Amino acid sequence: MAELSTNQNDILLKVENLTMHYTTRAGEVSAVDNVSFELRRGESMGLVGESGCGKTSVATTLLRLLPENAVIKSGHIYLDGLDLVDLNEEKMRQVRWKKISMVFQAAMNALNPVYKVGDQIIEALENHNEVKTNQEARRRVEDLFRLVGLDPAMIDRYPHEYSGGMRQRAVIAMALACHPDVIVADEPTTALDVIVQDNLLREMIELQKQLNMSMIYISHDIAVIAEVSDRIGVMYAGRLVEWGASDQVFKRPLHPYTYGLMSAFPSIVGPKRELTTLPGEPPDLLNPPTGCRFHPRCPYATESCAREAPPLRDMGNGHFVACEHPMEVSLEL
Amino acid sequence: MRRFIVRRIGQNILTFFLFLTLVYVLVDAQPGDFADIYLADPRLTPTQRAQLRESLGLDRPVLERYLQWLRNAVRGDLGVSFSNYPRPVIDVILERAPRTIVLFLTATIMSYYVGFLAGKVLAWKRGGFMEYATTIVGVGLYTVFLPWFGLMMIWFFAFTLGLFPIGKFVDPVVWRRAPVDANFVFHRMIFSAFLGSTILLLWTSFSRRLNPDQRRPARLIGFLVVLVGIVGYWIVSGIGRYAWDILHHLVLPILTLTLVNFAGTMLLTRNSMLETLREDYIMAARAKGLPDKTIRDKHAARNAMLPVVTAFVLAVAFVLDGGVITETIFSWPGMGLTLLEAAVVQDIPMVIGALVFTGILALTAHLVADVLYAFLDPRIRYS
Amino acid sequence: MAEIAKPSPQPPAPDFIIPEPGSHVPVIETPLWKIRLRLFLRSARTNFQLFAENPIGLFGLGIILFFALMALIHPYLMDNVWDRNIYDPVIGIDQSIPYHPAPPSADHWLGTDPLGRDVLSQLMFGTRAAFVLGILAAIVTVTIATTVGALSAYYGGIVDTIFMRLADLIIMTPTVTILIVMAALFNVGFVHLAIIIGLLGGFGGATIIIKSQALTIKVRAYIEAARVAGGGDVHIILRHIIPNLLPLSFLYMMFTVTTAIALEAVLSFFGLLNIRMSWGLMIYTTQRAGYLLDMSKWWLVFPAGLAITMLCAAFYLVGRAMDEVVNPRLRKR
Repeated sequence: MAELSTNQNDILLKVENLTMHYTTRAGEVSAVDNVSFELRRGESMGLVGESGCGKTSVATTLLRLLPENAVIKSGHIYLDGLDLVDLNEEKMRQVRWKKISMVFQAAMNALNPVYKVGDQIIEALENHNEVKTNQEARRRVEDLFRLVGLDPAMIDRYPHEYSGGMRQRAVIAMALACHPDVIVADEPTTALDVIVQDNLLREMIELQKQLNMSMIYISHDIAVIAEVSDRIGVMYAGRLVEWGASDQVFKRPLHPYTYGLMSAFPSIVGPKRELTTLPGEPPDLLNPPTGCRFHPRCPYATESCAREAPPLRDMGNGHFVACEHPMEVSLEL
Repeated sequence: MRRFIVRRIGQNILTFFLFLTLVYVLVDAQPGDFADIYLADPRLTPTQRAQLRESLGLDRPVLERYLQWLRNAVRGDLGVSFSNYPRPVIDVILERAPRTIVLFLTATIMSYYVGFLAGKVLAWKRGGFMEYATTIVGVGLYTVFLPWFGLMMIWFFAFTLGLFPIGKFVDPVVWRRAPVDANFVFHRMIFSAFLGSTILLLWTSFSRRLNPDQRRPARLIGFLVVLVGIVGYWIVSGIGRYAWDILHHLVLPILTLTLVNFAGTMLLTRNSMLETLREDYIMAARAKGLPDKTIRDKHAARNAMLPVVTAFVLAVAFVLDGGVITETIFSWPGMGLTLLEAAVVQDIPMVIGALVFTGILALTAHLVADVLYAFLDPRIRYS
Repeated sequence: MAEIAKPSPQPPAPDFIIPEPGSHVPVIETPLWKIRLRLFLRSARTNFQLFAENPIGLFGLGIILFFALMALIHPYLMDNVWDRNIYDPVIGIDQSIPYHPAPPSADHWLGTDPLGRDVLSQLMFGTRAAFVLGILAAIVTVTIATTVGALSAYYGGIVDTIFMRLADLIIMTPTVTILIVMAALFNVGFVHLAIIIGLLGGFGGATIIIKSQALTIKVRAYIEAARVAGGGDVHIILRHIIPNLLPLSFLYMMFTVTTAIALEAVLSFFGLLNIRMSWGLMIYTTQRAGYLLDMSKWWLVFPAGLAITMLCAAFYLVGRAMDEVVNPRLRKR
């Protein structure tokens, strides 16, 4: 597999050939197939793709929060040198939240309705022995609340007394509680209205810079990803098809799928043009297409595309693509 | 929350009056007078009979009788029991009620606790055989004919194994030269149990304020202190063995009633847990790195509990019915047995008294369940 | 960007034809009732298949059939095989045996009771009583519950409030207690008991569930259509709402039979009923003769108790299995 970067020192998270399957009544679903990427300290990365492309699966696999019928078939997840795939459950529990935490999709439901919000954060702190006394715990939570822009008076309230935006912030505060090295944010703003979304995004960028945290930002909304991330990974049908610096991927997409995603957006400036959409639907992961999984929908597909799955290749400047016929377009305005 | 309780109590009082009215209608609807048997004594002359009738107020119109009865009932005067003549009905009730309440309360709490525990564990480990077996046993116990089951329990535990007495409240041999009477001992027992649990409850909520590593030992110490305190008191008081005798007689009836009722709770808890486990906050709890047991007990079970408490309201009647049958089989001298005996000899004042008692008990249990639910679900409490 | 032309699928052939004016339009020849019957049988078969998937339901059904057989054979045995004087369940007596109750023998498979009557004969006769009582009570319950439920749902308002309050009151009241009181005040016989149980059940819990089901039916499109077509209230309730409630009502019949059999047994056991012979009465007789706790005379108590338990359980199991079929929420997830 090609090296993704030359500077090995500040690489925090290195995912190598990660493959994960679900076993269902109908058969095995290949949800994550041979995914590899790297994340440096303080860097933020976006993972983008259609619904069902496997981005949330990657997130849950990173924290090893898989249901019983799922199994990691192969691959490694190196977090600060430690391979998470091999860890037993006991050790994994210590890693969870302390080194890598998650902000869930539709975070309103991530809070248990019968306990106070503050208590739920304190629970995480106590579980990882971050605090010794009740006062310490209280102070920590107050600091966290202020950090995410919540009034500390709300600590003793219940989730149903919070608004949607406030709940989201609370969940972010909870994710930050144990000072993790990486935070995985799974569509954290999708359920919110646009203005709140905007504010929250800005604050998250701020927080990330302030705390020098690494972040993996998952969304189907490219505009949001481009604003927040340093690097972007594009996923399709369980595979990573393109990977590179944010403005590179955004302005010069290499993979036909990425191009399709980008050009589905109208541009405010520039000439009017017809919106191009991708014909067809994402494949059924029970029986994924052979070779390159995008080939049934790809306008440039050739015979070889159906035969072999193209590996991720470096096209220069650390911009990788898994395609035999990468595009040569520029979306710069 | 306070308003909620006050409103519910108000509703209860209203329902209670409605209940009393219906009871009176029922009694009045029967053919003939309720005093027919009492007055059927052939030695009474017609004049005497008429006089007695008048003194009992049987010649007045219905509305007047009803209001009079209502007035008396509220003051606690429910008439005189024919079969226990000359004891007033209220007297008999006050004597026998605690026994039924103890049976009902203990059996309900235990069956809920066991059912909940079993359902919780069952949902967490979805093992095929265990699930099947427990469901079958549970349903079997739920539908078994209670008198028959009670008899089997007696036969097995009392006759064959000789572990427990066959029935009744006390063993006359043990009590032959007792300095105190059984009611006294029983009331003391209730009081000490009540005091003990209140102290434990207060201590548990206090221990929440302590620092994390102090909490567990504190609770353990508290529990031991209360336990030693109660047992110590009884041993020292000299009447300990009488209390023990009563306890000994309590075991089998409570066990029977508990076994028959726990299955419903168990199945409901299991289903409720399965639904709760699919919620997002369970996944979040796992992500936080919490141990399995904490997730199951603190997060899942606490939410799964809510529908179960709701179902409790429906189950109250069932447990009360079961109590009547259990008291009969085990000759446990509570209100259930009293009701039955009075019914058989047509001691109508006593029957009504027992019915009123049952109504109060049912309404109170209903109220407690509602308040408990509001307490458990903050969404109701703070809305 | 080149588009790949996809062949568009042919639109499906229309399943109705707008006739040309003057042309002959074929008319459905089979009468409406035949079609309805066929549909009913077909859905009955599918429902039974669903029901049969659950071994518990079949088990219950088997037990019910077994008891039904017993009940049916009894009159035949009485008329043709057994000597009336000896084997009559109420007034028979076997004078050839000196000491009653007699243990099981070749003549009396389950022995005789303290009054010299054959226990097996009593058991079989009791089955008849149980079935008749159960079904009678069940019919009363279902009729009342369905009607009240439908009316409550349809009219709402004060009607709804009254019936629901009544149902709450009934649910809270312990049935056995009330029945004991009634048996003390009135002379309660077989039919009276069935009707009382039916009334209590009909106005009680079943109504609430049936009413919620009726509410979901009320808002469906075909009700609106019926109203637009000019259907009056009665018509809509009778022709549309109630038929859709019937599966649920039928379900509650099962549970009512369980309750009825159990209640009758309990009350007979207490000696409060005016019934000639039933299983509960068998145990009562035993108690009066003082043999209740005498395990050496097991045939006096065991068969009757077992029969009550088994038949109650059978109807309950069938009810539960039907619940899975009828209640769409519970269908196999």
